[in-house]
Amino acid sequence: MMSKTNNFVFIVLHIIAWLIFVGLSVEAGGYVVNFFFSVYKPELIPNLYQKLDLTNLYSNSPLAFFGLYGFILFVSILKACLFYTVVILMHKINMEKPFSSLVASKISRISVITVTIGLMSYIALQISKNLSHHGLETGAIHEIWADSKAFILMGAVIYIIATIFKKGVELQNENDLTV
Amino acid sequence: MSLNELSEKVELTLSNLSILKTGKAKAIRFSTLEAICKALDCQPADILEYVPGKM
Repeated sequence: MMSKTNNFVFIVLHIIAWLIFVGLSVEAGGYVVNFFFSVYKPELIPNLYQKLDLTNLYSNSPLAFFGLYGFILFVSILKACLFYTVVILMHKINMEKPFSSLVASKISRISVITVTIGLMSYIALQISKNLSHHGLETGAIHEIWADSKAFILMGAVIYIIATIFKKGVELQNENDLTV
Repeated sequence: MSLNELSEKVELTLSNLSILKTGKAKAIRFSTLEAICKALDCQPADILEYVPGKM
């Protein structure tokens, strides 16, 4: 049985997860719109989301531009997916009997997505630094991937929790089948 | 003796008795075994059987 405080905290976390999911979806949508404007109407970029202007990069090296934008879109969509999984997890979890295979699979998925976000962000950050080093202007793009190491660490911690949770599911099943 | 009667006597739910009956149970508590033996007036060996190669 959950205490009143735990119940309240859980509801607040559920609401926060929803808000973050909506925010990240808007962010991902913003980057998609930015991408199309960067290619077709570069003059409108200063009025758009985060003013992420990569038009110089596009004119200097289209390959680098599409590569970096690919990373931006992939990571931002993956972040939205991550919080969608969190929202679904919080919706489906039964705190009276939390050790179910569905919850275990959701936590495993969260760990995989988090590590992927971290690794992709880290690779993208290194590539953009390398491009800057070779004289290509990448603007404020570094700031987007500043949290890559935090995601890798968080993913590793969640992976450990997911592994422990799987063992918990086995124990729960055994307990359910003990009469 | 019906399952309902047995479940009342040994204070087990019908779903737990069903788990026992269908062989899905992974373990049985000594207290449950004792209650069943008492209700059926038998020994554990009368209701348990070892089948080689079957878990």
